[in-house]
Amino acid sequence: MQLQYFLLLAAALFCIGIYGIVTSRNAVRVLMSIELLLNSVNLNLMAFSNYLDSTLIKGQVFAVFVITVAAAEAAVGLAIVLAIYRNRDTVDMEQFNLLKW
Amino acid sequence: MGQYVLESVWLVPIYALIGGLLAIPWSPGIISKTGPRPAGYVNLIMTFIAFIHSTVALSISWNQPAYEVFIPWLETAGLRLSIDLEISAISIAAMTVISGLNLLAQIYAIGYMEMDWGWGRFYSLLGLFEAGLCALALTNNLFFSYVILEVLTLGTYLLVGLWFSQPLVVTGARDAFLTKRIGDLFLLMGVLAIYPLTGTWNYNDLAEWAATANVNPTLISLVCLALIAGPMGKCAQFPLHLWLDEAMEGPVPSTILRNSVVVASGAWVLIKLQPVFSLSPLVSSAMVGVGVVSAVGGSLIAIAQIDIKRCLSYSVSTYMGLVFIAVGTQQDEAALLLVLTHACAAALLVMSTGTIVWNSITQDITQLGGLWSRRPISGMAYIVGVLGLIAFPPLGSFWALLKLASGLWETQPWLIGVIVAVNALTAISLTREFGLVWGGKPLPMSARSPEVSWQMTLPMMILFGLVLHLPLILQNLSLLPNWATVNKDVALLLIWSSIFGCSIGGVIYLGNISKPIRFPWKGLQNLFAYDFYTPKLYRGSIVLGVDLLSKLTDMVDRFVVDGIVNLVGLISLGGGENLKYSNSGQTQFYMFTVLLGVALLGMIVTWQYWGNEFLQLTAIGNQ
Repeated sequence: MQLQYFLLLAAALFCIGIYGIVTSRNAVRVLMSIELLLNSVNLNLMAFSNYLDSTLIKGQVFAVFVITVAAAEAAVGLAIVLAIYRNRDTVDMEQFNLLKW
Repeated sequence: MGQYVLESVWLVPIYALIGGLLAIPWSPGIISKTGPRPAGYVNLIMTFIAFIHSTVALSISWNQPAYEVFIPWLETAGLRLSIDLEISAISIAAMTVISGLNLLAQIYAIGYMEMDWGWGRFYSLLGLFEAGLCALALTNNLFFSYVILEVLTLGTYLLVGLWFSQPLVVTGARDAFLTKRIGDLFLLMGVLAIYPLTGTWNYNDLAEWAATANVNPTLISLVCLALIAGPMGKCAQFPLHLWLDEAMEGPVPSTILRNSVVVASGAWVLIKLQPVFSLSPLVSSAMVGVGVVSAVGGSLIAIAQIDIKRCLSYSVSTYMGLVFIAVGTQQDEAALLLVLTHACAAALLVMSTGTIVWNSITQDITQLGGLWSRRPISGMAYIVGVLGLIAFPPLGSFWALLKLASGLWETQPWLIGVIVAVNALTAISLTREFGLVWGGKPLPMSARSPEVSWQMTLPMMILFGLVLHLPLILQNLSLLPNWATVNKDVALLLIWSSIFGCSIGGVIYLGNISKPIRFPWKGLQNLFAYDFYTPKLYRGSIVLGVDLLSKLTDMVDRFVVDGIVNLVGLISLGGGENLKYSNSGQTQFYMFTVLLGVALLGMIVTWQYWGNEFLQLTAIGNQ
């Protein structure tokens, strides 16, 4: 097992997350895609801390923080989605294009 | 005392200028309570002072040598402009004639302009003209002659345009200004081009230079052609003659001045420049050509006119053409004599016809007639003016024409034919005018036509006497050609041509031939009546060309130059209008562009490592 494979896996996961973010019409799925992105980042952090910094493992500390913040962000995100849903009665991303030109 | 009067003769133009300035306050907008008449009286007093001063100076200067006065005007690096004044018998005599004729014209105007409110403007312009002409007579410098000619061109514009509420006056003033201006601008080219050749603009120095000059004939021909273009416009010579016809829209008293003196200002410059012109045979023949065409054309056109003032304006072109012939054949003295005799006779003719217009309203000579029994004074003045203008001994112009023609006997006899023909034609046209206005039966417009008041009659009578006495004056000043030296055959020819012309005119217009006279060939009659269709000619050539060119330039300016600049703005506007659609309002699209930007930036930053990294990655993959 080598570092590159972890990194490539994380990159693949990141790309899948990006694809999900840009193409999903459901706002909750966008939030889920963001979680995928954050998890791919965590994979990177863990891989780097394992292969390059195995004594001080600062990457793992980073990953703990990222998970924490991701949880908070998801909570706020869901709250926002809920707030929009209450007003506009939909979670379709293509209905949220009010602030254009 | 006498010497002092002579030395201060340069004050004469200044008197006139002061007179002109003093007239301005009586413009209706400034002093309206007294009425405009004081303007005329003040100006008249100043003109009278100028006339007395120049007359006294003339009597003193008569047998004294000419001397020059130099007044520095401007000195810059490499150029010294000094106002050169020549105080000679000739220049003072010219000033006497100018101020004398102006005095008479101003007295005449007191009568003629009686029902007019615009004396302030009129008299100030007359003062300006007198000042300009006197200064032109005094100045001995080509540059300052040009300056004065330009001032007079502006003066003509303003004076012709006196009654500017009439549309024909506005177009006439426009043409008078532009036509003379074109001539003056060519003159300016000549004035500027002659300086590097001679290093001076002083007429005496120019004459000295010309005596020994050795210059490229093409160059001096071009320079001299430019120099005659100015006087051509001023003297209303072909093809710059239309303005004088249209300038007849101005008031009669100014016409007196214009026909007699103002047009002669061009001839004055021409005579002064004669030594330079003699350097180029081409220019001499060009001058003769222009003079012949103008003289013959003008006299033919004058016969076919029906406007009493235009009949006379074309004979002015004719006589200035004869002056051109005289200068072109190096006869300065004959030219000067002709200018003098023509000025007096032409002024008398205009004064006489002006009195007819004043009381008969119409200027159409086909509507006038039978005035002789009731307007004998005007009629006699007209007759004397005619006899003074054509070659009728012993009156003035006979001697001038005789001198001119005798000088041509040896060299260019065909020109004598031209002069004789022009003399006969002018005699016909003037006799025709007399026959139509004073002869025949009274027509409705002239049925009740009283003689005019003394303000108009007095100057006419003074001038009447002057024209009659002119030969005596000339004889006393020994200016007449010596009878022993002149060619008697030429004298007889001239006399016969005058008699011939007068009798033809008399027989046709005083006899019982039904009027209006119809020429057998109507096209030719109209050709002369409409002045060879010169307005159409101008409009079809120069005016059309300049008009099209200016419209084209305007379009280029409007569409190309403005267009390019506006296009920049338009593109910016369009860019903003279209690029705003990149703000689609879709959050996901924004995220996509952010990621695209980051990816691109990352690619650019890491571009240099790409080759190696891929190699390593593939190497790892192969392991």
